[in-house]
Amino acid sequence: MDETDPILWNDWHPVAARCTLDPARAHHTLLLGVPIEVSIDDSGSIVAQRTDHASLHQDERHGLIWVCLGTPTRGVLPIPEADEPDRPTIVVGAVAVRTSAPRVIENFLDLGHLGYVHAGYLGDDPHTRVLPYKVDPLPGGGIIATQCRMYQPQASPAATEGFVVDYVYKVERPLATCLYKANPVARDRFDIIYLFVQPVTQDSSIAHPLLLCLPDGTSPEAMRAFQQTIFMQDKPILENQVPKRLPLTDGMELAIAADKTSIAYRRWLASTGMTWGVDRAA
Amino acid sequence: MTMLEPGKWYAIAADHDLPHNHIYRTALGGHELAVWRSSDGGVHVWQNRCPHRGVRFSLGEVVADELRCQYHAWRFATSGACTFIPAQPDMKVPGTIRAVVWPVALSGGMVWTGIDPAGSPPALPTGAIVRAIPVSQPASVIAQALADTPLAGLTLIVQPQDQESAIVRGIAGDGDLARADRMLTALRRRIEQTA
Repeated sequence: MDETDPILWNDWHPVAARCTLDPARAHHTLLLGVPIEVSIDDSGSIVAQRTDHASLHQDERHGLIWVCLGTPTRGVLPIPEADEPDRPTIVVGAVAVRTSAPRVIENFLDLGHLGYVHAGYLGDDPHTRVLPYKVDPLPGGGIIATQCRMYQPQASPAATEGFVVDYVYKVERPLATCLYKANPVARDRFDIIYLFVQPVTQDSSIAHPLLLCLPDGTSPEAMRAFQQTIFMQDKPILENQVPKRLPLTDGMELAIAADKTSIAYRRWLASTGMTWGVDRAA
Repeated sequence: MTMLEPGKWYAIAADHDLPHNHIYRTALGGHELAVWRSSDGGVHVWQNRCPHRGVRFSLGEVVADELRCQYHAWRFATSGACTFIPAQPDMKVPGTIRAVVWPVALSGGMVWTGIDPAGSPPALPTGAIVRAIPVSQPASVIAQALADTPLAGLTLIVQPQDQESAIVRGIAGDGDLARADRMLTALRRRIEQTA
């Protein structure tokens, strides 16, 4: 466990959500293989610490508790839309997945599985064609996919009919991604879903999804339940990917044009020098 | 890194493990395998991994004479060739997109495979096929135990799964499956305890 990856070691990662912490018992988790304990007292103040008492950096943003084990070179990823007054932030809840963190991010970016893994919700056979879309590098590092369009029978709890949904995907940090999708009611505005993945070990992770959706009459409980259903559909697929670490070498897995975002994500990770949770073997 | 003897046939499933529309998952010498039967009755032994994103084929579905991956519903013919990609339905699928196909032989009620296996699988006596027993010990330890103390009336074959475990398959010559099962579970208990 001493193969520390400077890229992830010096970045911020979520380790808990405030709303799930309980003063009666500390929350125990792992970050990059390092045991972490997160506790909250009756006044609501939260302390995250390494169980070996080595120092760490702690922050709280977007309802989540963040830790940097190394030396942070920047803050927790900002979400400008979180400041829009009519846009609440909803913590969906942590989902443990027995695969590497980059596999979880890549699946989030994937259009081709929507009609099968999320059939009846985010896609449906035979509307499975992935239309051409654009992928570009982001100026500050990372990638953006635009002009993505998918037919969705039940794009959100409030959708009353199927329609073609416009999507934009962004990956701004190796283990942080988000998507913008047309709101089913106010179709000129976007709902935003963030996914932060906590790298637990090289082969296991915890997904922390976050919703920044415009209120449409759906209760936060129903929003959470819908997203949890979606994540639970992904989990068995992710846990049956072999190998668990994301292959970064061309040829280990075969991609097609519809996989453009995945190809760009893998190439970008390869260029950063990240080693945790990826397979660079020739 | 393989622990398999080239040229040798290994029994990796019983014929009755393969009802229609089922994909049987097993491992041989560290290689995970997906075993399935197409509608023409043919049996196929494949590497248990879709070449696209590595999802286990054993999660998938048999659709007539094709195997369909559960992740993106790519379809693969019995030759291993990918025939259809729903994300790009008009694309002619490149011939390079293939499942990794292993050799296969059906004999004595068993499905056999191996690395470049030569000739025919070993002949087995007539009888009933016993329940396969997984044992958490290397194949060599099990083979030695069977050589030291043969189990009367049973013809047994050891399938190495990985470095630490194996599956014992075999035939009960007298057809008494309950007796065979008792003997094999006792054997398993003994071998796993003496480790």
